[in-house]
Amino acid sequence: MSFFRFTRKINPLVALVAAVAFVVVGLITAKARTVQCSIFLLSAYVWLLIFGFKRGCVNIILPFIIVGGIFGTIAYFVYGNDYISAIAMVNRFGAVFLAVAIGMSIEPVDTVRTLSSLKVPRQITLGILIATSFPSMLGMEIKRVREAMKTRGAGSVLNPKVFYRAFLVPFVMRLVSISDTLSLSVETRGFTLEKSSCTVYKKVGVTICDVLFVIGVIASAVMVIVL
Amino acid sequence: MDNNNLTDNEIESIAQSLVIDNVSEKIECNDKTTEREDESQPDLNQTNLKDKGENNFDSRAFRKYKIKDIVFLAIISACTLVTGGVMPLLVNVPVFGIVQLGLGLQFSVFPVIGMLKVRKAGALILQSIFVGVFLVFMFPPMVMIVLCAIVAEGIALLIFKSYKNDWSCVVATTLYMPCTIPLLYLYYNAFYTVVGNEKNAVSMFIGGVNSGVVVGITVAVVALCFVGSVIGMIISRELKKAGALKK
Repeated sequence: MSFFRFTRKINPLVALVAAVAFVVVGLITAKARTVQCSIFLLSAYVWLLIFGFKRGCVNIILPFIIVGGIFGTIAYFVYGNDYISAIAMVNRFGAVFLAVAIGMSIEPVDTVRTLSSLKVPRQITLGILIATSFPSMLGMEIKRVREAMKTRGAGSVLNPKVFYRAFLVPFVMRLVSISDTLSLSVETRGFTLEKSSCTVYKKVGVTICDVLFVIGVIASAVMVIVL
Repeated sequence: MDNNNLTDNEIESIAQSLVIDNVSEKIECNDKTTEREDESQPDLNQTNLKDKGENNFDSRAFRKYKIKDIVFLAIISACTLVTGGVMPLLVNVPVFGIVQLGLGLQFSVFPVIGMLKVRKAGALILQSIFVGVFLVFMFPPMVMIVLCAIVAEGIALLIFKSYKNDWSCVVATTLYMPCTIPLLYLYYNAFYTVVGNEKNAVSMFIGGVNSGVVVGITVAVVALCFVGSVIGMIISRELKKAGALKK
């Protein structure tokens, strides 16, 4: 019955396949079928909003407008005032940014749960979980090191010597100490790399929602290539 | 009564003998301590050797991973990813090797730090797997970076047999990013629109017919990655000296 449960949470592996499909189809058709590609990307954006990728979709809007605008303008002038080339360039960035939106919306825990259900080695699932959760923490650490630099009056980060001595070395030192604490914390919570049985409490299975999502992506991809 | 019969001289002589006995005991004790110190001397030497990593270091390349290794590699991979966040912007710029030039430094500084801490075969492959999960969403063909890691580690292990030598890690991370250059040909030929004016763009992406550009950019990428790896090695040595980076 869980298959027919309607949830807006898409299976991470299904989302990953969709991301690859967006990039590949977007890049192939960006110039050859400029208008169709633009429609495909817009409909894909709406499709993502419907299926719970709201966070990523909202976050990419501003960077996409800036980057797409800059590179579209460059392409316009480079290809001799050809607006089709400009739109094609914007399409390509649109395809890449859609994939990024999917990546931003997926919960790292869900990815790990899915991989654990598929019996992926624990070394890899643990590493993926940490690597996907850590970037937000890195920002805070960078801020702390910068504050320490200011307190010490170390100088500008743009100076390579200052950057190396006052930023890079303390930053890596901090990473080492965080990794020691984190590994201790992981071990005390009973995590082991040995071949012992484990339970995945919240399994992320495939639901009818995932099937609908994939059907929509495939149908739109086929349409943009064939029509 | 007998005690009372003892003369002052006798008492003095007994006292002197006692003192002498004490002194001799002290000397014996000192000898024993010296012997103990002598016995412990080789240990101290061994400790020094251990500090230098000459005696203690397990030179086997293929060893079991511990949780702390995986955690450190994952954190270093996160750093690589964050600093490599410019990739989505570079992938559509029609210049040969622009992705590698933009990411060469980040993808060599951090991986070499990870490898110098976790000197085990597969350290670079694990890092590239952790990075690859993100790269799927940024630029799917770069997932092939895992293959590049296998090639780079294979070459480094063939030359050095293990990661005992710092330069083996430097070699592996120097080759890591340049190995992705041949992937460009596959990617831009297979996926990029190849019609009309775009053919020129594709030509620029894959270096066109100008072999000088291809060789020049490839050499520049290798040099950049080498510089990055050496910087990473210097940072690791500094941390090791400070006692933060234990093997």
